Amino acid sequence: MSKSRITKRTQQWRDTAIPRRPLLWLAAALLFTLPPMFGMLASWVPFLFLFALAMKFWMEPRGYRLRSFVLKLILAGVTVGAIFLSYDTLKGVEPGVSLLAVLVALKILEAHTAREFQVMVMMAWVLCLCGFLLSQDFAIAFCLFVAFALLIAALVQFHRGSSEDVFWLPLTTTFKLLAQAAPVVVLLFLLFPRINTGFWLPVGDPHAARSGYPDRLSPGRIAALTDSTNIAFRAEFPDHRTGPPGPMYWRGLVMWHCEGMEWRAPYGAMPISDSSRPHPESDKTIRQRITIAPHGARWMFALDRPFEVTSRAILARGNYLYSVQPIRKARSYEVFSSIEPMEKELDPYERRQALQLPASISPAVRELAASLAAHDSQPRAIVNSALQFFRTHGFRYSLSPGEYSKNDLEEFLFHRRTGFCEHYAASFATLMRLARIPARVVVGYLGGEYNDLGGFFLVRQADTHAWCEVWIPGNGWTRIDPTSVVAPGRVSQDFSSFLASRGASGEMATGRSAFLTRLARLGLVNQIRSAWEAFNYQWDTRVLGFDADVQDVLLTSLGLTNRGPILLIMQVLIVIAAVLVIYVGWMQLRTRPRTDRIQALYERFCQKLARIGVGRDPWEGPSDFATRAAQSLPNESKDIRQVTETYIALRYAPGPAAVNLREFAKKVTAFSANR
Amino acid sequence: MFAQHTTPTDDSGVTDHVDAFVKQICEVIVGKNQAVKLAVACLLARGHLLIEDIPGVGKTTLSQALARSLALAFQRIQFTSDLLPADILGNSIFDRDEQQFVFHRGPLFSQVVLIDEVNRATPKTQSALLEAMEEQHISIDGVTYELPEPFFVVATQNPQTAVGTFPLPESQLDRFLMRIELGVPDRASERAMLLGMDRREMLKELKPVISPRTLIEIQDNVRKVHVSAALLDYLQDLLDASRQRHSTGLSPRAGLALLHASQAWALMNGRDMVLPEDIQAIGVAVMGHRLGHDIEQLGQSGRTFADNLLHSVPVP
Repeated sequence: MSKSRITKRTQQWRDTAIPRRPLLWLAAALLFTLPPMFGMLASWVPFLFLFALAMKFWMEPRGYRLRSFVLKLILAGVTVGAIFLSYDTLKGVEPGVSLLAVLVALKILEAHTAREFQVMVMMAWVLCLCGFLLSQDFAIAFCLFVAFALLIAALVQFHRGSSEDVFWLPLTTTFKLLAQAAPVVVLLFLLFPRINTGFWLPVGDPHAARSGYPDRLSPGRIAALTDSTNIAFRAEFPDHRTGPPGPMYWRGLVMWHCEGMEWRAPYGAMPISDSSRPHPESDKTIRQRITIAPHGARWMFALDRPFEVTSRAILARGNYLYSVQPIRKARSYEVFSSIEPMEKELDPYERRQALQLPASISPAVRELAASLAAHDSQPRAIVNSALQFFRTHGFRYSLSPGEYSKNDLEEFLFHRRTGFCEHYAASFATLMRLARIPARVVVGYLGGEYNDLGGFFLVRQADTHAWCEVWIPGNGWTRIDPTSVVAPGRVSQDFSSFLASRGASGEMATGRSAFLTRLARLGLVNQIRSAWEAFNYQWDTRVLGFDADVQDVLLTSLGLTNRGPILLIMQVLIVIAAVLVIYVGWMQLRTRPRTDRIQALYERFCQKLARIGVGRDPWEGPSDFATRAAQSLPNESKDIRQVTETYIALRYAPGPAAVNLREFAKKVTAFSANR
Repeated sequence: MFAQHTTPTDDSGVTDHVDAFVKQICEVIVGKNQAVKLAVACLLARGHLLIEDIPGVGKTTLSQALARSLALAFQRIQFTSDLLPADILGNSIFDRDEQQFVFHRGPLFSQVVLIDEVNRATPKTQSALLEAMEEQHISIDGVTYELPEPFFVVATQNPQTAVGTFPLPESQLDRFLMRIELGVPDRASERAMLLGMDRREMLKELKPVISPRTLIEIQDNVRKVHVSAALLDYLQDLLDASRQRHSTGLSPRAGLALLHASQAWALMNGRDMVLPEDIQAIGVAVMGHRLGHDIEQLGQSGRTFADNLLHSVPVP
């Protein structure tokens, strides 16, 4: 292209306004980049974005646009300031993405020329990428994929010009492009080296750290979670179809430190050494495969009493799993749990920990604890009489029991007597300690919703539960769930059905609307929901859960060994290149018309000649080619003539061929130009 | 009168005859071997020949040499703008002795007819000629007169840019199997011609090489040259390509023309089967004048178009 044409082109691009159709495609794409922003960024950001889009469509036909440089500067300053005010910082993922979104919104208002249109498409692509920094949910990923495709369509339409074809025409091109790219995407997904550690980028749900249960069991904190339908994790039982019988207690973390109504986990998890850990017999273990949603903290879940540690996790004192790194993206792990208590001896340090009490316990409570042990000082008897106390003294289960502070043990036990699982677990464990029985509080999840389609249990944040463990000599740490005494249904059902039954019998008014509860019980809705959840599960395990470990297994099965990242990257690049070459070759084969055997042999002959520099033009007849080839290769002229004559006889001559095909094949194979 | 079934002669005999024929003509038309061979192929394929070139390059000499070497009845008609159809077809004249109209055959009733400067006549006369070429008979006053066999028209024309011409419409150009150009001879050939005998003397001394009977035999043999499926694929690829790249492309008749001409070419080269090379050898001559319209205004010629076609459609 000559220089004058280039300048002419850019000139043209600088002057032309954006045609309407590509703009519509771009707007549609930008709309699809919005979903991850809602709820993830400061709420005014997506609205500003929408407003800018709407303004654009109002301004463009009227010829208005953001022209004044001063005004642009002021707007940019104001929005950046607003982001700073919203987040108190400009560092981090959310302020960063907000900044980008806001700048794209301003660019929309400003953009007028074709060049700026291209810039907007590029920025929208970056915005798509940033969407994944905010959430890797399947629904979000789908939206972003649609946005991505629409951006291609916008570009295609843009380069087609303002033709008056049917509007979906760019889509067909887009689909073709995407389909062609798909194999490469799959390859890169499978083979591109993944890194588990190393640099830290807070990818994933930045809100996750705020949801999930706290490391401190203060009154009312779990109750706040019961409205949350967010997924905590999903569990599969590879050896069983539907999991173990009885209620499923998913162990999260153990709280040792008692402050009355408030309990606290140790600040760091202390690992149990491998040697001191007992191993149960294999028939009393349950294997689980758990896919955990990112929550930003380090605890991991397993059925009660996990004993086998997965990679990148430790087994902490109190028998719970603790991740080496905060869980910031979906992660899958396999874990073995024992059905029965395993420890036979309580070491003195743990005994001391399990009997620790705050000083500020009221005399009335101390008196109650003493009375529990009055009849029988056996630990079992004390536990039973404590449970009896909860059963007979009019305790009620309620999600809204009102506020308790950490010193309100007396208030709870003697006056209000209304609470939630955490209140029962905390008060029960405190009573046990007062009665000199080692006790601790375990926080985790109870139950789970079985998904028929996917064959897995779905455990939501709403299933959060707290219970106690007391040390009974001879039996070890024994699970006592005081909530089961007060509200037996809570233990036998998962939480939502428990709530539903309670709501139906009018016992309990919850925050959930009756409409939603009824809707959830409709068969079809349930089926759709469970299908969606099963699909999400596949997304989380297969796509998001495809981390370095899983990739390592895959690479090893492909014969690639993991010996340092550089070697691995090189190996993977070689594999990718090889697969791409095969793919291109296959495409080539597919697009070439099918040729019969004679022709294939003749083409082989031509290729042999082409390799030594005498290539046949596609339109060249065989006889002409032979003459030319014989001239430039006088040594082989006889062979060339012979092969060509045979070919002509087979392909063009009348009647039954004087030579058969095999002879021809032999001649072609034997032909070699020695140079 | 010659239409009788003949057994095909053996291939070598045919080749010998044709070689001698070509050689004799080439003695008269120096340095134009390819054009001469094409003209002979056209004759063997039972097609009519159009020679287009500037005056004085030997168009008339070539056609006369063809006629005289064949021992066929030869007529030469000079087309002019006032020539009438009757002047070439013949008239019915009242015969007083017989007391009836007697048809007097015109110059067209001949075996080799040389039409000089065919584009100087009016379209009316042109079409009278071209009808005869296609139908091989002439109908006048309700009587159909068969034309003799073999019947071979060689027309010459000046390039259409010349003054005072009526260009042949494409439908009529299509009737000619080939259009060839002679062009000025190269330096050596021209020197030989300048030094050599007078061409008119040479033409007079030409002896017939092929008898009419042999000619018909050879013409029959041409149609028997084997055409394989692979070759027909190539032929049809060419036709398809021409239709894709040109406003109208080649007609089915053009396809037949290509086939027959390539058969003749194959036979002349002593083969009993047609190769893609044969089509390529006669391709420009057969296709060029059929693809000239619509593109000649754009400064392209049908010949280059045909040549491009042959140099881009792959041999399957």
